[in-house]
Amino acid sequence: LEDAERPPMNTFRAQLRDDPDVASAVAAIRALLGFLKQDRGETIQGLRNSLRDAIDTLSRVDSSVAVSSGGELFLRFISLTSLEYSDYSKCKEIMIERGEIFLTKVSLSRNKIAKLCHPFIRDGARILTHAYSRVVLRVLEAAVESKKRFSVYVTESQPDEAGQKMAKALRKLNIPVTVILDAAVGYIMEKVDLVLVGAEGVVESGGIINKIGTNQIAVCAKAQNKPFYVVAESFKFVRLFPLNQQDVPDRFKYKADTLKTGQNLTEEHPWIDYTSPSLITLLFTDLGVLTPSAVSDELIKLYL
Amino acid sequence: MPGAAERGSELSEQIEAFAARLRRGGERPRSEDTARQTLSLLRKIVGHGRWSRAGELMDLIRTEGQRMTAAQPSETTVGNMVRRVLKVIREEYGRLHGRSEESDQQESLHKLLTSGGLSEDFRTPYPSLRANVIEAINEMLIELEGTTDNIAMQALEHIHSNEVIMTIGYSRTVEAFLKEAARELKFQVIVAECAPFCQGHEMAVRLSKVNIETTVMSDAAIFAVMSRVNKVIIGTKTILANGALIAVSGTHTLALAAKHHSTPLIVCAPMFKLSPQFPSEEDSFHKFVSPQEVLPFTEGEILAKINVHCPVFDYVPPELITLFISNIGGNAPSYIYRLMSELYHPDDYEL
Repeated sequence: LEDAERPPMNTFRAQLRDDPDVASAVAAIRALLGFLKQDRGETIQGLRNSLRDAIDTLSRVDSSVAVSSGGELFLRFISLTSLEYSDYSKCKEIMIERGEIFLTKVSLSRNKIAKLCHPFIRDGARILTHAYSRVVLRVLEAAVESKKRFSVYVTESQPDEAGQKMAKALRKLNIPVTVILDAAVGYIMEKVDLVLVGAEGVVESGGIINKIGTNQIAVCAKAQNKPFYVVAESFKFVRLFPLNQQDVPDRFKYKADTLKTGQNLTEEHPWIDYTSPSLITLLFTDLGVLTPSAVSDELIKLYL
Repeated sequence: MPGAAERGSELSEQIEAFAARLRRGGERPRSEDTARQTLSLLRKIVGHGRWSRAGELMDLIRTEGQRMTAAQPSETTVGNMVRRVLKVIREEYGRLHGRSEESDQQESLHKLLTSGGLSEDFRTPYPSLRANVIEAINEMLIELEGTTDNIAMQALEHIHSNEVIMTIGYSRTVEAFLKEAARELKFQVIVAECAPFCQGHEMAVRLSKVNIETTVMSDAAIFAVMSRVNKVIIGTKTILANGALIAVSGTHTLALAAKHHSTPLIVCAPMFKLSPQFPSEEDSFHKFVSPQEVLPFTEGEILAKINVHCPVFDYVPPELITLFISNIGGNAPSYIYRLMSELYHPDDYEL
């Protein structure tokens, strides 16, 4: 079991290290595809079981929602393909081929989203964003390329100061950026024209799971009637339906290392929160511009 | 072939004439008429245009469509019809190509995972494609004829005896809707006159001709009267992809007043008014006409010192709308995305 564990973890870690721009779900799927190629089993059932173990191992490295959704998607992909072909070896060939096609498609998703989203940024807009999101960065890059002038406010996003990282990346693009305290969101909201955030996961109700502080921003935006836009790739759609913050499973809220030590979680600060769909104006995904009610439709089409 | 060239240039002239009429925009054309004219033109293009493959036809329709929509961007029905025809072509091609009826044309997570390769390239020629597409367009024209009646048929489900209904301006769809209900019930209608063109007056005259008790009032009195109103029923120019409306100027005020009093706001609009565009920076739905109506030119001196605008349309956000009644039934604004995916193909959202 030790040998079977090592390859996906190593590929996964290596990818995250070598390409900081890759989404963690994509890295997970790539690692799982590699695992699939090496698998020596003869049955679909055996394959599914070993894949589940592999996904568990990956979540022990990175407990984010994205890895979980990537893993679920991959399992679903296996099930769908296995339904079409009863011969296992043929099935495996098709799976590997389709897996590669899928990976090429998702690598284009950020550009698709940027193309859809940048017309919503008007010339002279003031945008508020939260923490560090590569998709938001790509969208703002596309807006700059289409010669729009705008300024950005980024929340500092404690405890890891991801906002500073985002500000640095934005300065490189020559976008005027101001880092603000997380507590200053209510203060700055009246100056802002729109709020643009990424998402770690998009849940079935159309709400999102994102870095802690997103819910606050959404509530302030709603109170001041500012549009709240979310940009996320479609592989982040996850089969959760939280009704409140407590419903989000603990394994997503805290880092993998914290969960491993098994200490009392009431002392820990969660890293993510849930934003309900009533606070979100539009979601920009590679499947198109969606209203929150359209998200569950997409998930149903896939999983049921 | 002299015949084809002649037909080609005649067709081109007709399209140019249509575009010129749209651009001039003098009389306020009925959306249904614009839709019908667009479909007839598109049918001619399919019938007489020079194309041999589905891909070429789609490019041809797209180019002509862009020309027509550029003439008057606020007439969104033109673009909608072009997109409907493009979807019809894709469907007919798919059917002839032997693709199963169930295969989803839309992008979806499911398709992302199971598709084996590149998307359609529409390059195989099929001789019966022309006839099939023309037949489908004829079906759409027939459907167009029946839209107002289909909407009016639903009137009795929504209007009850002794109700007070408020409307704004003049909408032929709402007129038919109220007249159908008036055949069996007695109710009152309050019409907001909708300055500066005051189309509300014409609406009131038409309604009173069928013995509906009508009151006309100024737009400023909308909020004051709202507490006595049971329902607000309005028409619209366009329905946007997020469920919002582009309607006559004054509708947003009406919608806000209705929301404040928790009065249901019902929008009667046929499906051809549904446009896959979102309200964004590049929206060109707004139309400004001569400010003569707002401040007449006879005012002379003051004109040099001020700016006068006369916008025709208003944006109404989806949260203020309760129900859409269309020729295919009643729907909530949050369901619009689904209706859109049935009418148009995502690749055609950008013409």
